[in-house]
Amino acid sequence: MMLLAALNPAEATREVMWNISHSWVMYMLLVPTMIIAGRGVYRQVQKWRAGQPAARFDRPAERIKRVVKHVLLQQATLRDRFAGVYHFLLFWGMITLTIATTVVLIHHDFSIDIMRGRFYLYFQSLFVDVLGVLAMTGVAMLAVRRWIVRPKKLVYTDESTWLLVLLFAILGTGFLLEGWRIAATNDPWGNWSPAGIVISKASLAVASVETLTTLHWLVWWFHMALVFGLIAWAPYTKLLHVLTAPLNIYTANLDAGGGTLKQIDFESAQSFGINSLEQFTWKDLLDLDACTECGRCTSVCPANTVGKQLSPRDIILDLQSLLDRNDLASRNSKSDGEQPDEYKPAFPVIGQTDNLSSDALFECTTCAACVEICPVSIEQLPKIVDMRRFQVMERAEFPQQMQDAISSLEGRGHPFKGTQLSRMDWAEGMDVPTIEDVDAPEVLLWVGCGGALVDRNQRSTRALANLLKQAGVNFAILGREETCTGDPARRIGNEFLFETLATQNIETLKTHNIKSVLTSCPHCFNTFRNEYPKLGGDFEVLHHTTYLAKLIGEGRLTLDAKAAERIAFHDPCYLGRHNGITDAPRKILKQLTGSAPAEMEKHGRQSFCCGGGGGLSFVDEPPDKRVNQERARQALDTNAETLAVGCPFCTTMMEDGINAVKGDREMVVKDIAEVMWETVSRE
Amino acid sequence: MKILVCLKQILDPDIPPRDFAIDRDNRRAARGSANLVTNIFCENALETALQLREKAEGEITALTFGPSSAEDVLRKALALKADHACLVEDEAGEYRNSATTALVLAAAIRKLGEFDLIMVGREAGDWGAGQTGGLLAEQLGLPSVSFVDSIEATADGVTLRRQTELGWEKVEATTPLVVTITNNDENVPRIPKTRDIMMSARKPVTNWKLSDIDVTCDDITAAGTALEVVDLAIPEKTTECEFIEGDSIDEKIDAFAKRLASIVQSA
Ligand code: SF4
Ligand code: SF4
Repeated sequence: MMLLAALNPAEATREVMWNISHSWVMYMLLVPTMIIAGRGVYRQVQKWRAGQPAARFDRPAERIKRVVKHVLLQQATLRDRFAGVYHFLLFWGMITLTIATTVVLIHHDFSIDIMRGRFYLYFQSLFVDVLGVLAMTGVAMLAVRRWIVRPKKLVYTDESTWLLVLLFAILGTGFLLEGWRIAATNDPWGNWSPAGIVISKASLAVASVETLTTLHWLVWWFHMALVFGLIAWAPYTKLLHVLTAPLNIYTANLDAGGGTLKQIDFESAQSFGINSLEQFTWKDLLDLDACTECGRCTSVCPANTVGKQLSPRDIILDLQSLLDRNDLASRNSKSDGEQPDEYKPAFPVIGQTDNLSSDALFECTTCAACVEICPVSIEQLPKIVDMRRFQVMERAEFPQQMQDAISSLEGRGHPFKGTQLSRMDWAEGMDVPTIEDVDAPEVLLWVGCGGALVDRNQRSTRALANLLKQAGVNFAILGREETCTGDPARRIGNEFLFETLATQNIETLKTHNIKSVLTSCPHCFNTFRNEYPKLGGDFEVLHHTTYLAKLIGEGRLTLDAKAAERIAFHDPCYLGRHNGITDAPRKILKQLTGSAPAEMEKHGRQSFCCGGGGGLSFVDEPPDKRVNQERARQALDTNAETLAVGCPFCTTMMEDGINAVKGDREMVVKDIAEVMWETVSRE
Repeated sequence: MKILVCLKQILDPDIPPRDFAIDRDNRRAARGSANLVTNIFCENALETALQLREKAEGEITALTFGPSSAEDVLRKALALKADHACLVEDEAGEYRNSATTALVLAAAIRKLGEFDLIMVGREAGDWGAGQTGGLLAEQLGLPSVSFVDSIEATADGVTLRRQTELGWEKVEATTPLVVTITNNDENVPRIPKTRDIMMSARKPVTNWKLSDIDVTCDDITAAGTALEVVDLAIPEKTTECEFIEGDSIDEKIDAFAKRLASIVQSA
């Protein structure tokens, strides 16, 4: 009778808290554990609250979708194959084990009989056991990476070593406990726990039931102590990301590209730009505590790759340790009305460490590769620009050549100091209509400073204008009325100048009643598309790659013979990553050559910067640390004959880079419009 | 130390050559699309003054003579923390040469008060005459030192370093004194802080007409006759290409050297 009941799967269960008496001790210990952990979390929450406001709870549906994608499915984390897989295993393993423990709690403490029958067998025994094994596999992979492979991008601290040991010990003792319980109670359902049964059999082979029972008792309390210890300690370690990462992903920036910069209210801002912890928004501060130290951002950072000081990971971690050391909540927040002559930061950041030095901050090309790769949606780039702003607007201390570009923007409306060209030179002898000549043009061709004032790019601009004429597009240019969109000013950190230029341009475009703007410069494109709307300038904005693809699609441009050359494509950061446009240029190239373009390993949204963004194209980099040469090597490795680009800055940066490192290899750089003008049927 | 810096607003000398135009009838440069900027040597002078004030206590007054648009150069000086600014407005907007400018500046300076150091740029990027500093000293009856690129305050005056063709000269001088400033690596003009640019718009600028400083049109005309521009033209650039012939490389080099020598001699 007894035997029959025991083998009825509907009745399957196990004795909870077998072998454990005085379990109240555990509950007594749980109280201080939770207090310590709670204090750790509370302390951080208070710090975030000392930050400035940021609206990050709008559009809940979109946010929940992000959490499903990047927390539950771990999509961003899985982009790094090895680390992604072990994190996935650990993540789901630990969640499952936590659920299983909760089930035990419900069953035991609330006396709800749920650990029974099929649920007990399939979930509580088999599934949990398998997931436990997978979590253990994850820990093993983690150990291999941390102790054997030792990639450079990781941070090697005692803390992470101890956390790893702790995880291993908790999982390990958990399995031992299961095995020894099965052995000692001769559990008839033991086979449903594959790892448990193996340990059970192996243990019985070397020890008696009595010994195992004693060991079980000892290890049970040890296991409990480890778990409570981990819970209490976790909020003080990088494991805090278990809480902060999902919160950070939920409150992520939903705007395009992740490179969104803050606006400044120049009337009321305490300082222009940031040099004190509490000037960051609460979301910025949360970012700091969400970092998992994975190092992916630094490993994709172009400046860091070529050996410069800049390291987005270390900027985040150094800010984090400043946040740790300072009691933001204690700040004396009263201000005495009168603006002091010079702003005195309460918790200064710039220059506090080498990673936060002004020099490092101005090495950033604002490519946003760091933001794109971060598995927990940290925004490194906007913080870098926040601090640059302080250097530019409050201190006027930044690289001389960037200062020249800014002065030129102020005086001449373009950043190219000393250019011998004027805005209309490229159009000489071409009969390009200006806005005075055309009533209500289909599109306004925004040439951009890069397209008009740099010798090399005149060819590209002419090709584009020729294509538009060929397609019979009714277009016009602003001519001398055009000035810089303000992108370089904004990325360098002169928000004031950016706003001045932007307001002026919006005004000009409105005066001419422009609805649609076409540009070949992704920086102009990004500014028009994502930044002008916030200043009251809403225009339809088109990048020439999308527009040319459309003209082919509509049959307004037809292609002659196929281009014979093998072409590779370099994605401009402000087109691919910041604005998600990666298909249009490839579609054109495929139509031009009949086959998909050759790809570098880093392409599309994962493209590697040409080195020219963020005002860096105006700066002479040290000869042995040039981003464009690194990218040039990557391009040359495709063995393509032509490198197609879709950005005037990329054109010159890549051309210079390739010429410097090509040796006896040959590769020419052409804007997509140039490639196309060579193959299009002409009348 | 009380310092006065004279600033001149000029057409941006960095515009592309093909954008540069002249008004030949009136014998002056045409504005065209060029921006108005502060003359670079004047900026060097202001920078030198700012550095001097950082080391020795003092006050800086910026002074300019020009059309009402010249207020911009004063605003920029105020953004860089000059203490006072004064514009003498040239209502007629006629071309003024160094002599007339020196006359007007001297009158304004006398009215502004006593100064230890009066600093002017070595020359302006438009006409490049390089005369105003010396003429101003003459008008004020003060000694002057030209081509100065660094100044240190001493107990009873200043030590100046002046650039010469052979190197530097160190000059010890007592004040008051007029100096013309040239550029070097240390007086590259700083750029203003954004907050200071915003604040500079609210700072007062003394605005005088010629009558306020007791200068009459006759005075100006009289001073102006010292120099007359007879004609103004943009030189035509021509490129001539010449190939040096020769049977061997040595012969070619020889011929090349001879040709080079003959060009140098004829020039
Ligand atoms: S934006 Fe690009 S250059 Fe700047 S820190 Fe991030 S990865 Fe590096
Ligand atoms: S900021 Fe993001 S990508 Fe960089 S180390 Fe931290 S978690 Fe990793």
